[in-house]
Amino acid sequence: MRVIIAGAGSVGRYMAGQLQDSGHQVTLIDSDATVVTHGRATRLPVGVTWYLGDACEVATLSAVGAAEADVMAAVTGDDEDNLVVSLLAKQEFAVPRVVARVNNPKNEWMFTDMWGVDVSVSTPHLLTALVEEAVTVGSFVRLLSLEGGKARLAEVTLAAGSPAIAKEITDLGLPRESTVVAVLREGHVVVPRGDTVLHEGDEVLVLVTGGVEDDVRRALVG
Amino acid sequence: MGTPISDAQPRQRVCVIGKVTRMTARPTSGQPALAVSISDDTGTVTAVWTGRREIGGITLGRRVAIDGVPVRRADHLEFTNPGYTLLPR
Repeated sequence: MRVIIAGAGSVGRYMAGQLQDSGHQVTLIDSDATVVTHGRATRLPVGVTWYLGDACEVATLSAVGAAEADVMAAVTGDDEDNLVVSLLAKQEFAVPRVVARVNNPKNEWMFTDMWGVDVSVSTPHLLTALVEEAVTVGSFVRLLSLEGGKARLAEVTLAAGSPAIAKEITDLGLPRESTVVAVLREGHVVVPRGDTVLHEGDEVLVLVTGGVEDDVRRALVG
Repeated sequence: MGTPISDAQPRQRVCVIGKVTRMTARPTSGQPALAVSISDDTGTVTAVWTGRREIGGITLGRRVAIDGVPVRRADHLEFTNPGYTLLPR
């Protein structure tokens, strides 16, 4: 796939390398001549095309082939820039998949289809979720938001008092809008079936769509 | 001027002319957006303007020209914040 990355900082360069390695065709845009010259001279990441310019300008996006791109990733260290790139990519080039990086969690609410963003990634939010996930037992932790928040991946580590313990998944009374997608048990991943019986200490990963989080919480946490 | 709606292609800049057949002010993730269906004899496209609930002059039955780059949705093409021109009836 053709991927355009705006912002060749450590995040942008790392992504470019990884995606190029997986066989995608990557173009990196940065407005800093030093960064671009250095990138071109060292040929790192391998195979990536560099472009010197301001990704917030339609002319730049046009020059790097945004009209044919499959993915636009706006990952500069500046939230305003990321929003402008996202909106232009969607509005002027109808890029099917626009991914944007949120630097300041206070701005996260803006990273929606309103600004052309299909998927937003917030490092502070992810870190918080991961830390929360690592330290909490018996409460409901949101890990990841998909499709602009329409679907969420959540995790519950079952505490001793959980109503779900010793029950089969079919008998949990989970709403139709939710699915148990994995159970992590003693370092193994258990692929959940209807008759999988849950134990204390199980980490249950649930995909939740719609507004049924409270029902899922009730079934797993109590 | 104006391409028949059935000839519009996703990701190709195009100008289509038609009548407003449907207007929906919808909340997208809690923020406002105005979705307008525009039809000619050959089909229907949708134009979405983010951040607003109404646009002066765009009313049901109004003839408008829409200029932008559409994306393919389930069964129709959709423009995001396209340019528009109000035309005489």
